[in-house]
Amino acid sequence: MKIAEALQKMSLNARLAALLLLFGFIAIFAGDPYGGDKTEIDARELALIVDKQVDHVAAAELADWIIQNRSDYRLIDLRTEKEYGEYHIPTSENITLAGLTDAGLQRNEKIVLYSEGGIHSAQAWFLLKARGYKAVYMLFGGLEEWKDKVLYPAVPENPTPEQRVAFAKIKEVSTYFGGTPQNGAAAVTAQPQTGATAVTAQPQTALPKLSLPAGGTGPKPQGKKKKEGC
Amino acid sequence: MSSPHQADDFAPKPYWNPYLSGIGLGLVLLASFVIMGRGLGASGAFSSVVAYGMHQAAPQHTSTNAFYAEYLGDGTTHPLKDWLVFEVIGVFVGGFISGKLGNRIKGKIEKGPRISNRGRLLYAFLGGGLMAIGAKLARGCTSGQALTGGALLNFGSWAFMISVFIGGYAFAYFMRRQWL
Amino acid sequence: MSAPFYKYGLFNDEVSLIVAVFIGIGFGFFLERAGFGNGRKLAAQFYFSDMTVLKVMFTAIVTAMVGVYYLSVLGVLDLSLVYINPTYLAPQIAGGLILGIGFVVGGYCPGTACVSASTGRYDGWAYVGGLFGGILVFGEVFKLVEKFYVSTAMGKVTLPQLLHLPYGLMVFLVCVMALGAFAAAEWGEKKMAAKREGE
Repeated sequence: MKIAEALQKMSLNARLAALLLLFGFIAIFAGDPYGGDKTEIDARELALIVDKQVDHVAAAELADWIIQNRSDYRLIDLRTEKEYGEYHIPTSENITLAGLTDAGLQRNEKIVLYSEGGIHSAQAWFLLKARGYKAVYMLFGGLEEWKDKVLYPAVPENPTPEQRVAFAKIKEVSTYFGGTPQNGAAAVTAQPQTGATAVTAQPQTALPKLSLPAGGTGPKPQGKKKKEGC
Repeated sequence: MSSPHQADDFAPKPYWNPYLSGIGLGLVLLASFVIMGRGLGASGAFSSVVAYGMHQAAPQHTSTNAFYAEYLGDGTTHPLKDWLVFEVIGVFVGGFISGKLGNRIKGKIEKGPRISNRGRLLYAFLGGGLMAIGAKLARGCTSGQALTGGALLNFGSWAFMISVFIGGYAFAYFMRRQWL
Repeated sequence: MSAPFYKYGLFNDEVSLIVAVFIGIGFGFFLERAGFGNGRKLAAQFYFSDMTVLKVMFTAIVTAMVGVYYLSVLGVLDLSLVYINPTYLAPQIAGGLILGIGFVVGGYCPGTACVSASTGRYDGWAYVGGLFGGILVFGEVFKLVEKFYVSTAMGKVTLPQLLHLPYGLMVFLVCVMALGAFAAAEWGEKKMAAKREGE
């Protein structure tokens, strides 16, 4: 009762001041606006994404993005520095799982993750999704798949017309990345020609030297950086 | 035949309670944060216009100047297709709307009693020039740095804001003829 | 978190320009509501007779600050995506001092000058002309001041980071400081009014 009376008597300014003081006081206890290190997981949403298979990107598609010189995504290599140094997919950046949260990845960026196979990228995917990142994808099959499908694509012994056409296209992609298409017509280094089982039979001496620009240490150049200052 | 009521209708209405205006302004700023992820600004728009004008008049000159280059971009978008330029256009319009509603549109010169019109205009021009230099050095003016950066608890912006008040108060003595 | 909307791709650049106009309209509207189209009223701040500038500015700052804080804490706004100017301490302090001087000489700041001009004030137009001139001068002498311009870069640093205080506590402290400033401003205005009555 007393408080209500006091509030009645206060002028508009005094009421506004009291409101401000209240909001400010509650702020002391309300927590960290940046979200801290905690995460919130919407299990159903994540399960749905996995089910619908919209959580990954095929190697061929990624190859296309790189060739088109797109700059609307960030490609993250989750392996160790040493492995990254030996070979990495062009335009990728080297960030390990432990360093992901501190790496300065923005929640509105498109992020593609890859590791050797799929385990680490799946873990990283989950971690980022749980932290509220909107567009996170794994490279389907990881580096293994990249090698199979892009660097050393193979075509079965008796290809159908579609397969022949597809192979012709992937051959170009492969050479762009410094790979060697298997079972090509000519102008391919002498590799033992086998059929669809080419995967096991190729002694790859060295992975292609990187002549393409690497992802570099920082984010890709974005054209005109939109000015957001004053 | 004018009745007493008519004269009152055209008199300028009093200004709002400053705290309410401040809350309104704060909400606009908040809306900008939430919608655009950026705050307000003003001086940047003028810089874009100057850079564009200079570029039209003397392209070789602007191409070698780092300051203009920043506002001209790399040629992919027109320098005047800038968020701040459009925002400042809105500021003109909004000010006009509020002035119209408050019967405060009037062609006049705001000044103190002890200075001439010419003197006031000269000082206004000079003040604008000084402020432009200050705003460019500080990378913002009161709207961009003080309001926006202040709300985001930006250290540089707070330092800037305090400096503005210090500068103003320190120099006020020398300008008292113009205002008092 | 789906805000800031633009950063999450809700609309494209063209639409953002339209958004800019509307935000600007709101900005100009409230500036004029407060009386900032009038240079005398603005300058009076520096003579302690009319503290509207302080009241409006700080009210706006704390309103937006509190709003940003609570929206972020509630998970509605992603604070990490809101642009914050990097700090260049020395140029910002120097620029601030010059700006303060320019404020009391010209009677406006860039935003309020627009409002003043659009409500018919010729001194507002003169000020806007001065703005263009000043930017031109700065552009020409830029080479000379460039080194100073990029000195003392501290990156993006907020007060909570600098003082190692929790963000929420900082919000509270700023609110308290603002309330103190308002109280002092009201008191100061009354004192000045009484003094002028007595003269």
